[in-house]
Amino acid sequence: MIAAFTITPSFYLILAAILFSIGAVGLLVRRNVIVMFMCVELMLNAVNLTFVSFAKALNDVGGQVLVFFTLVVAAAEVAVGLGIIVAIFRRRRDATADDLRTLEG
Amino acid sequence: MTVVLFFIFGALTIGGALGVVLARNPVHSALFLVLTLVSVAVLFLLQDAQLVAAVQIIVYAGAIVVLFLFVIMLLGVDQTEPFAEPLRFQRPVALALGAILLAEVLLLAGHRWATGAKTARGVGITGGAFGSNIQRVARVLFTTFLWPFEITAVLLVIAVIGAVVLARRSAQTPDSESESAPRSGS
Amino acid sequence: MNPHVDFHAFAPEIVLTVTIVAVLIADLFTDDSKLPARIAALGVLGSLVPVLTLAVDGQTRSLFGGAFVVDPFSLVLTGFFLVAGYVTLLLSFDYIGEGDYYQGEFYVLLLTSLLGMIVISSARDLISIFVALETITIPTFVLAGWRKHDTKSNEASLKYFLIGVLSSAVMLYGMSLVFGLANSTVLVDIHKYASGHTPALFAVAVFLTLVGFAFKVSAVPFHFWAPDTYEGAPTPVTAFLSVASKAGGFVALLTIVRLGFFPSGNSWQPILWVLAAASMTLGNLAALRQTNIVRMLAYSSIAQGGFILVPLAVAGDVRGNAAWQAVVIYILIYGAMNLGAFAAVIAAARRTRSAEISRLAGFGRTNPAIAVMFSVFLFSLAGIPPLAGWFAKFVMFRAVFDANTTVAVVLGVIAAVNSVIAFFYYSGVVRRLWFDEPAAGVELSSPRLPVGLSAAMGLMTAVILVVGVYPQFFARLGEIAFQRG
Repeated sequence: MIAAFTITPSFYLILAAILFSIGAVGLLVRRNVIVMFMCVELMLNAVNLTFVSFAKALNDVGGQVLVFFTLVVAAAEVAVGLGIIVAIFRRRRDATADDLRTLEG
Repeated sequence: MTVVLFFIFGALTIGGALGVVLARNPVHSALFLVLTLVSVAVLFLLQDAQLVAAVQIIVYAGAIVVLFLFVIMLLGVDQTEPFAEPLRFQRPVALALGAILLAEVLLLAGHRWATGAKTARGVGITGGAFGSNIQRVARVLFTTFLWPFEITAVLLVIAVIGAVVLARRSAQTPDSESESAPRSGS
Repeated sequence: MNPHVDFHAFAPEIVLTVTIVAVLIADLFTDDSKLPARIAALGVLGSLVPVLTLAVDGQTRSLFGGAFVVDPFSLVLTGFFLVAGYVTLLLSFDYIGEGDYYQGEFYVLLLTSLLGMIVISSARDLISIFVALETITIPTFVLAGWRKHDTKSNEASLKYFLIGVLSSAVMLYGMSLVFGLANSTVLVDIHKYASGHTPALFAVAVFLTLVGFAFKVSAVPFHFWAPDTYEGAPTPVTAFLSVASKAGGFVALLTIVRLGFFPSGNSWQPILWVLAAASMTLGNLAALRQTNIVRMLAYSSIAQGGFILVPLAVAGDVRGNAAWQAVVIYILIYGAMNLGAFAAVIAAARRTRSAEISRLAGFGRTNPAIAVMFSVFLFSLAGIPPLAGWFAKFVMFRAVFDANTTVAVVLGVIAAVNSVIAFFYYSGVVRRLWFDEPAAGVELSSPRLPVGLSAAMGLMTAVILVVGVYPQFFARLGEIAFQRG
């Protein structure tokens, strides 16, 4: 039966890596600034999942504590980032990265 | 049981992530993000991280995504947008990045991780007389990690100040001629 | 069971934090716009006092299991950051006061970023470094967009933000893998782990971690945010970004490489080599084509960042501390040069009302004092003796020759070629200052420059002239930073 099949930490780590990749590719492919930011949140979640998996594997609760710091930084980034987006796009109808064309380079 | 749960919520995580990236409507993306976040919270529970799972749902899914939705609705960006991307090298870079990360995934798969009741330093997740998960996390957070904790307090204050400064409507009209200090370089 | 806290070790951070709170409260309760600025300046100088007392005291303090360390290295760099912060404040007083900007919040954000910088010089574990790096960066996202009515500025700030959070996420992922492999976040433990046989996954983890730092120091190919952000931000913020924020990234990079990844040379040296070579070359070539002085200095900072990376990239083969000392010395000198250069840009733009290089034509005739100081800064950046820049380049080349491997020599050649290329655009500006006909509409030497601005320029000029002739002062600081404390 499947009783002999156990979920090792590698499973979680691979899942996290796939989640990270989806976030990274999504960030590069999408043009809507808010969705790009959501992809960054996906990447940060992948990091959190990695930390928790290692905490379990190494039996060190410090890994879980590190997740808190990631969460705090993510929250601070969201506050500031959405503030910037609101400041820019308050008067416009859509928020695409194509609108950031006045700057090259 | 763990196996079944892992595969169900693992699939939901990946499905939600793909939904975030592929959905045309940003509101749909936000909802898929909630799905991903909650699935990740369940995966946390499967790994004996109860406090983190609860905080994930309360803070991430409950506050951050709500903030996203507020901004989406405020700005009225809930329309769809075309899928074409103007930057020439975007697709190749994305694919290259995907390939690198896939290679890394395979490396992860091949690596033999040490598991078991190996208490590194201090408090483990199981074992020892440290109490429940919350008590263990608290013990480590307020002793070993006290310093970064204090710094994050400052960081959060700044985030609030920054967000208020940015999002506030100024009294003046947006007219660059009215500025007394000239732009770039002065 | 409370952890034992050594308050003297934290004193600089405590004074600065109290200053931040004081500025916030002062801004809230008074209408006097000068008071927050004065409190900020006083607080920064006040934070230098415990730095000096700790230096005199001389003992190395280590807290939180080795995560927070006060040793000569951290004291030298804390002092540097505080001085750089003070000079930025000097530049900001009148700039922010006269423009249509929020004031009190500006100082709060600037000081918080500064707090992150002094924390990072003492941080010795991955998570402290990460939190400190974010404390440095997140206020600058807001500061970069301080010109709220300027669309270009807002968009540059958004671009900076997106690239910034992306690289934070990548760096954090790398750090999480390092944590899993080394079983700890403390750099000393990671060093022990790296001394053993490390799997390929460790190299991937190191690569990802370094990518995040590459963005902070605007190394190529992670530099895309820099020119636009530098141009769009208020110039004092640009000065701060190009000197202090960049130095913060370098300090973190140096600490992580020296104390953490060092034994596993093959995982970090190639990456730094590529970053150094690419930054020098692309930065200089792009700078040649710029017509806007701020963008030119932005690309010049990218190239100078490449020069700072050179000793880091060859550090694995250098015996003793010469490579690390070279990095610190270059950072100190570069700080003075670049702050001075941007101060001169602010001063010049008060007269020319523009940032175009063409408008600087003949400036030497109409505003000789500013033009002289500007020339000093530019020639120092180019590395011309007897200005301080030559010593920075000298220690960089010395580190390369100490390393004495093929790749190091190749990098040295690239650096030499780039120094020559850089000379062309620096001297081009100087030529325009002195040998071209004055542009129309440029005001003459009155009205007078604000005191703060003149003081900043004068101070930086003095530093460059003195250190250029007596480099022992900074060389000694470099040695002190790495002696076994």
